[in-house]
Amino acid sequence: MHKGRLYLLVLAVALCAMPLSASQFLDIPFDQMVRGTTSVVRGTIGPVSASWDADHEVIFSYARVDVSDYLAGDGPAVLMLREVGGTVDGYTQQAIGFPELREGEEVVLLLTVWEDSGEYRIHGFHRGKYLVRERNGRTMLRLDRETQGNPREAALSKSAPSDDDVSIDEFRAQVGAIMRGRAAGPMVRE
Amino acid sequence: MKKNIALAFAALIVLGTALPTYAYVLLSPRRSWAGGSVTVLVNTAGNKTITDSSKGVANTASAIRAWTNVVSSGTTNQSAVRGDGTPYIMLNSNGKICNGSCLAATLTGYYQTVGGVTTITDADVYTNQRYSFVSTSEADGCSGEFYIEGIMVHEVGHVIGIGHSNVAGATMYPSVSSCNNGPASLEADDDAAKNDLY
Repeated sequence: MHKGRLYLLVLAVALCAMPLSASQFLDIPFDQMVRGTTSVVRGTIGPVSASWDADHEVIFSYARVDVSDYLAGDGPAVLMLREVGGTVDGYTQQAIGFPELREGEEVVLLLTVWEDSGEYRIHGFHRGKYLVRERNGRTMLRLDRETQGNPREAALSKSAPSDDDVSIDEFRAQVGAIMRGRAAGPMVRE
Repeated sequence: MKKNIALAFAALIVLGTALPTYAYVLLSPRRSWAGGSVTVLVNTAGNKTITDSSKGVANTASAIRAWTNVVSSGTTNQSAVRGDGTPYIMLNSNGKICNGSCLAATLTGYYQTVGGVTTITDADVYTNQRYSFVSTSEADGCSGEFYIEGIMVHEVGHVIGIGHSNVAGATMYPSVSSCNNGPASLEADDDAAKNDLY
């Protein structure tokens, strides 16, 4: 191997090995996460609005998601997403480490439904939202680590390769296998 | 080829030493409590698994003083009031926000910026009622439970303006497994974050 290329490879490996950030959450294996979803969708986040709850205690953000593909499960082509946190009249409420909704993002989301409404929510908090990126003709997914209160990813190149990137085809296959395992009963481990 | 591999490893070592020692993240916008300190109150109601009989409340109040010189603590029978200027730890409420895989959550947002300096004016901590918690004072030890001390030291880190760290083992690492009370003890990374802000 050419020496220059070798150095580049080493640099890439080292950068990929740099850990990134991700509140105090329970460590849950990915297969368990997937089995807890109602659906897994690919789509684009629409305009985000926010409002207080009825008791004026919690701000929730709402966004429409235009679904282009159901990777698992089934549902409407357009769904409404609700997440804790947001800004109302200039006041921002943050739940540290919870996912952020940003208009225009193409995403893959692990979804469940709120118990008190028919709206959808991201399952697993920061671990249930992936950003979609096209790289070298392949569609890649990357966990969105730019969560509420944590701006780390903004300081990094969002387009740079990372060791936690996964192709959407691999992701779909993995999710499919886990869901088939759920349907069949026995637990499927990654 | 062997020489190239040796050079590659040398480059890795050099790169490794060039990386920042600390990986803490401060909340955005950067913010801290006025006067450089804050008193956090633990609600005495406890919850079904953490009560004063198990020392859960008292231990929590004691543990969060790990943030030395910044955090003092006490207990109260009053509940959190968002925006009242006093941070509370509510062991008996999920604050409508902490469910699923969330063990505990800090709700922030009360801060103000004057002259380019952002000051925290309130933050409250809520606890998921779905899980079983344990304190280090419980004689029967830990079995599939979560140490309340470590979890609350982490949350109070958010209360004082610190985000999540990528350093495994640091108090501010975002996730924890059952029966791991490591987060109750600050690591160098956590101290560095605190010293950066205060």
